Amino acid sequence: MQRFAERIKVAALFAPGCQVRPVWFEWRRQKHAVTEVSYFWKDCHGDATRLHFAVSDGSNLFELMFNASDQNWTLEGVEDN
Amino acid sequence: MDSHRIILHIDMNAFFASVEQQSNPELRGKAIAVIGAAKRTVITTCSYEARAFGVKTGMNSWEARQKCPELIFVVGNNRKYTYTSTQIIAIMREYTPLVEVFSIDEAFLDVTGCLSLFGSAERIAQLIKARIREQFGLTCSVGIAPNKLLAKLASDMQKPDGLTIIAPQEISRILERVPIQDLCGIGHKTGEHLSRFGIRTCGELGRFPVDILKRNFGVTGERLHYMALGIDDSPVVPDEEAEEVKSVGHSTTLEKDLTERREILIYLLQLSEMVGRRARKYRVAGRTVTLTVRYQDFTTFSRQQSRGSFTNNSEEIYQAAVKLLDSVELTQAIRLLGVKISNLRQHTEQLPLFPAERKKALLTSAMDDVNNKFGDFAVTFGSLLGKDAGSKVISPAWRPEGLRNVDVE
Repeated sequence: MQRFAERIKVAALFAPGCQVRPVWFEWRRQKHAVTEVSYFWKDCHGDATRLHFAVSDGSNLFELMFNASDQNWTLEGVEDN
Repeated sequence: MDSHRIILHIDMNAFFASVEQQSNPELRGKAIAVIGAAKRTVITTCSYEARAFGVKTGMNSWEARQKCPELIFVVGNNRKYTYTSTQIIAIMREYTPLVEVFSIDEAFLDVTGCLSLFGSAERIAQLIKARIREQFGLTCSVGIAPNKLLAKLASDMQKPDGLTIIAPQEISRILERVPIQDLCGIGHKTGEHLSRFGIRTCGELGRFPVDILKRNFGVTGERLHYMALGIDDSPVVPDEEAEEVKSVGHSTTLEKDLTERREILIYLLQLSEMVGRRARKYRVAGRTVTLTVRYQDFTTFSRQQSRGSFTNNSEEIYQAAVKLLDSVELTQAIRLLGVKISNLRQHTEQLPLFPAERKKALLTSAMDDVNNKFGDFAVTFGSLLGKDAGSKVISPAWRPEGLRNVDVE
């Protein structure tokens, strides 16, 4: 996976029960609709909880990260499938 | 032995590789191998598809590629695995409080007391398997037996996605032909030693005179006899009842073999800071500092030294480690370094009396505060700036909480 650390714009659904689901995101002026969230995990960096999502737009796999402390979304990596 | 116990052993199948296959649907059904983040690490684990080609854990990547040219290498993500493991253990704890985490991908459960709630051990196993599959898409193999030894043996019998029961009345029949090295605790060396007596199966070991075993293996001899008969009364010990942790340590395989003292010291400082941070976090201090060195030919040795006072100060740990390093005449390049403090006691914060010591304690505390907020190594020693630090390997002693919960990169 090619690693990045780019702040991105994300539309996400915050459902009851602390369920967060990215719906689409914009990266390098291109909008990607999330067709599948294949994995989810959490970790902490300092006192910030970070939610990680492995998502697909139907052609590539992306790793998105939501920092619950500063409310920012970051594109962490891209896998060209 | 309490013959009424019912123990489950749950073993996640090719755990890291399966997590990666779930994360990336393109990898499902393919031969993949998980490798560490460091450039040269060996294979941590591989998928069942890769195992079919003869790829094994611990193999070098070039060797694995020879066995399976289509093998896909995936750089592991330890935080993904520790999170998943923690969640899976939480699922297990919904069925019984008696969960002993054996490693990141294995646990024992004593379900003797909760059968009336869930019906049977088999049903508990099926419920847990279903929840793990539904939540993470992962499979596990479960062994059900009257003790830990047999439960582990049972879980190994059917992989992947197995459920094997060894009922008390079937123990001797099943063990009769089981190779002795299939029992957890009988390693290669003991196996070789036993084979010199013509013992290859548990049946043969069980019938072998105990006094000869005792003469040759000491106290272990009697234990070997009982193991062969499927007798094991060791309890399932949940973390909160486990023995106190006796040491705090970190080790790392270096990115390349090193001979330069200056470069070695940078790693020693990193490791000392990691040890100190974790010891301070859990309020323990140690009196003995141990340095472990592995040469490029895998020869490994340790040197230790006890201090006059207890410490969890990174700099003091580092100074002791450097002293130990300087006491050794290095004959080869170094492949791995480890730093550990032991002889632990609880450490209650007390500001030192003398100004220089007080300043040092306040500085450490201020650094910890910043790192607690912004993450490890956000503020660190100048010589570590720009260095890639942190634990890259999940130790077998890793646990979901407490002093053994090592934060990994």
